[in-house]
Amino acid sequence: MIMLDRRLLKNFGWSLFFMILTYSTLALLNLYSVSYQTGLNYFKKQLVWVICGIVSMLLISFVNYRTLRQYALYIYGFSILALIFVLIFGKEVAGARSWISLGSFATIQPSEFVKLSMILAIAKFYHDDYQYTPYGLVELYKPLLLIGLPLGLILMQPDLGTALTIILISGSMVLFMGVQKSSILFVLTLIIGLSFPAWHYALKPYQQDRVKTFLDPSRDPLGAGYNAIQSQIAVGSGGFLGKGFRSGSQTQLRFIPARQTDFAFSVFAEEWGFAGGVFALILYSLIILWMIDTASRAKDKFAMLVSFGIASMFFWHLMVNVGMVIGLLPITGVPLLIFSYGGSSTMTALIGVGIVLGIRMRKLPVTGESMVFR
Amino acid sequence: MQNYRSRLVIVTVILGVAFLVIAARLWYLQVLRGEEFEKFSLDNRIRIQRVPAPRGRILDRNGRELVVNRPSFDIYLLPEDLREAGRIHGSLSQILQISIEDIKGKVAQAVKKSRFKPVLIAQDINRDQLALIEARRTLFPGLIIEVNNLREYPYGKLGASFLGYIGKVTEADLNSNPNVYSNDLLGKTGIEKAWENSLRGEDGFTQNVTDALGRNVDSKLFLEDLHNKNSIPGDDILLAVDIDLQKAAEEALGEQFGAIVAVNVNSGEVLALASNPSYDPVDFIKGIDHDTWNELINDKSFPLVNRATQGLYAPGSVFKMVAAAAALKEGVVTADTVHHCPGYYKLGTHTFRCWNRAGHGPVNLHQALVQSCDVYFYKVAEKLGINSLSKYMKDFGFGSRSGIGIEEQSGVAPSREWKQKRFKKPWYQGETIVSAIGQGYVNVTPLQVVMMTAAVANGGVLLKPTLVKKAVTYSGETSIEYSVNIRTQIPVDSEMLAHIQDALVGVVNDPGGTGWRARFSDFLVAGKTGTAQVVSLDTKGEGVQYKDHAWFTSYAPADKPQIAVTVLIEHGGQGGVVAAPIAKQIIRAYIKLLKEKNADDNA
Repeated sequence: MIMLDRRLLKNFGWSLFFMILTYSTLALLNLYSVSYQTGLNYFKKQLVWVICGIVSMLLISFVNYRTLRQYALYIYGFSILALIFVLIFGKEVAGARSWISLGSFATIQPSEFVKLSMILAIAKFYHDDYQYTPYGLVELYKPLLLIGLPLGLILMQPDLGTALTIILISGSMVLFMGVQKSSILFVLTLIIGLSFPAWHYALKPYQQDRVKTFLDPSRDPLGAGYNAIQSQIAVGSGGFLGKGFRSGSQTQLRFIPARQTDFAFSVFAEEWGFAGGVFALILYSLIILWMIDTASRAKDKFAMLVSFGIASMFFWHLMVNVGMVIGLLPITGVPLLIFSYGGSSTMTALIGVGIVLGIRMRKLPVTGESMVFR
Repeated sequence: MQNYRSRLVIVTVILGVAFLVIAARLWYLQVLRGEEFEKFSLDNRIRIQRVPAPRGRILDRNGRELVVNRPSFDIYLLPEDLREAGRIHGSLSQILQISIEDIKGKVAQAVKKSRFKPVLIAQDINRDQLALIEARRTLFPGLIIEVNNLREYPYGKLGASFLGYIGKVTEADLNSNPNVYSNDLLGKTGIEKAWENSLRGEDGFTQNVTDALGRNVDSKLFLEDLHNKNSIPGDDILLAVDIDLQKAAEEALGEQFGAIVAVNVNSGEVLALASNPSYDPVDFIKGIDHDTWNELINDKSFPLVNRATQGLYAPGSVFKMVAAAAALKEGVVTADTVHHCPGYYKLGTHTFRCWNRAGHGPVNLHQALVQSCDVYFYKVAEKLGINSLSKYMKDFGFGSRSGIGIEEQSGVAPSREWKQKRFKKPWYQGETIVSAIGQGYVNVTPLQVVMMTAAVANGGVLLKPTLVKKAVTYSGETSIEYSVNIRTQIPVDSEMLAHIQDALVGVVNDPGGTGWRARFSDFLVAGKTGTAQVVSLDTKGEGVQYKDHAWFTSYAPADKPQIAVTVLIEHGGQGGVVAAPIAKQIIRAYIKLLKEKNADDNA
């Protein structure tokens, strides 16, 4: 199980580890600035989560990914049970039943962890499947089922932000593994065909508002467009070098909504400016790049696809969150991993990094097992 | 796995493109449009609050306060800090005598906009209410007492007609004056309006950092962005008016409709300027309410019209001074010329009557003025002709504004050209005849009459009346000073004026003089009575009084003139009977004040 082999330590991904440490430090500094006026509550809690996450990351990295592969479907099944549990016994916050309460300190959001278990399950499916040609829709019924089950449960909460990331991550994985052109065309046609009735019958008025407001934030500057406008004012007024640590007026005077969660990056961009923003962006991109590199060196399909899946999780969280903060995408409740305050998403991200670290450490075959090439 | 490696290359490219898109957007927002957004964020957090400057005071010639400011204690509630709102509404409603629904409604209305902006509950609460609230301050979390300035009038309605009133700005005010804001109060009439620029002062402002909810932020954060400016109080206006004389004048008028003006004959300083009926300026201090305003403007006695400067009346016989001066100067008569008055005067087919139907018999100029013989001046007028008479009217200041500064009418000094323009009709000789005795088209204000009287008294200098002596800044420096201002030197020789002055002394002091009721035993008063017919041009429905307007204009002491007093009583009857005793009262008050002042100076 856990191999405390010297070779493992030698192959440990120090560079990813330090990049993650640096990135987590930036995230914590940022939350410090956000919450120092109100007793550092968010900062302290997030500090605990980051420490727990890093410990978990290290522990997970010493778990052989083959073991994860072995138990992937059990882990997946357990996380589905958690989703069902949350629908029945969960705590309702802001109209969504997404949380399991663990006493006064913590609440757990199972939908975040589902991202990982789903990645593992999809990777397991492709690992066990030996098809080399692109998949047709019918052949994909298994992975689509693996995706559809948690997706449906999450939509029932409802938590659109997480549902969106589930679709983006799993979609990236399925596309990466190859899909027949005709199937892609079929799905695209279906989406376009369904979008009109979906807009009118499935989306709630507030969701329609978000899309409309994204297209034109000034149509309602004090209502739905307020968040988008204030966030862009914050980012823009940061200028090249920023207003300085704890000196962002948009942040400190609370013009930015959800500063500790969804709009944490606009705080960072305001206080550290273009220079700080791009630095964080480069760091984040290098982390993803390192994961992609790990995928390319992986010794089996499972390891490769898990690395790719976790990389795409990081990627989509960045795109959707920062895209929203800087006004390129509509406002959706998708956090920026580790930057946004939240135990579950932080733990999920760091455990994911742990899995990739574990895969990286085991790029050489372990004694007694033959390398599997497919 | 090779197959997947090439796909991972594509993935890396996608990652790179995504990175560039985000970085480019950051560059656009932060560097290209950074300054613009920096301005937005400043606007976001800095709220400017205006600190209105207190209005200047209005003082009498001795520095006594006629118009001042007093603190108005205004009660506000801050919804955000309100605890146990029901209880607070209840006790406030009891103390302030406002219904609970009213208070609740005001708060609910304001909360819709912001919980962090104070809501005005009651303006200008009285001392008892203030004491009650102050004593229970801790029971009213969220209650704010703000002190603002309101106009106060220590002498009540005294001088209201020339002091003027204040009112809410109009659209026109807002457009013409950039320093005026909606809901401001500014001068609408009188001194308050004419000296608005001095009285107004300069508003200051404070800047506050506010958070997203509009709350003032106390922390040291962002203090360097803030600037404050103190307000500069408006200048005080020092009047030429003497409160004591003004009081005497208003008391002398009493309930009678009319006007009294007293001026210094040598400087033109206005010592008293009374008009009745008047209004109470207190009604205007917070901006007048609709009902009171309607009442005032629909009042048929026109309380908002300053009769001393805006009231137009036929001058009647007081106008004979003008005709006499014109006649002497033009050589139409000399002091010795005698005309016979049979009690009427025939011109063509028309007969003009003297007020004394029995006739005055043979009279010279002196007697004609003393007895106010009409026929004598009919003859004079016929010889002078309207062109000449009109010129002298204008020389004495009629038909034009005196330049007093506050609202005034110019009146009518009729001429051929005037009539042609006004009525498109030629001038008739009969109209010249009646003009000489101050009837017909002639229309004057009491102010014009008193300035004429002063000019006769001081040897022919027509002065501009001075209502305001100076404006004094808050720190005590004189910012504007008004000195003696001569309008014209009336082109009548001083010996000729001396004849008229003699006659005016006779009016009061000679046996048979019409103005004997203004006589003093210890010094000489000069004056002229007037009884102006109310021409039936006035066709304004029912209740029209056809009684004559009573005039008396005078100066004293006759040998060394100091003060000129003009009295007009609307529909009062005979000037000598009604107006002369009132003028005597004013002169008596003036002499008394003079003696008191001398006694003070000597003590």
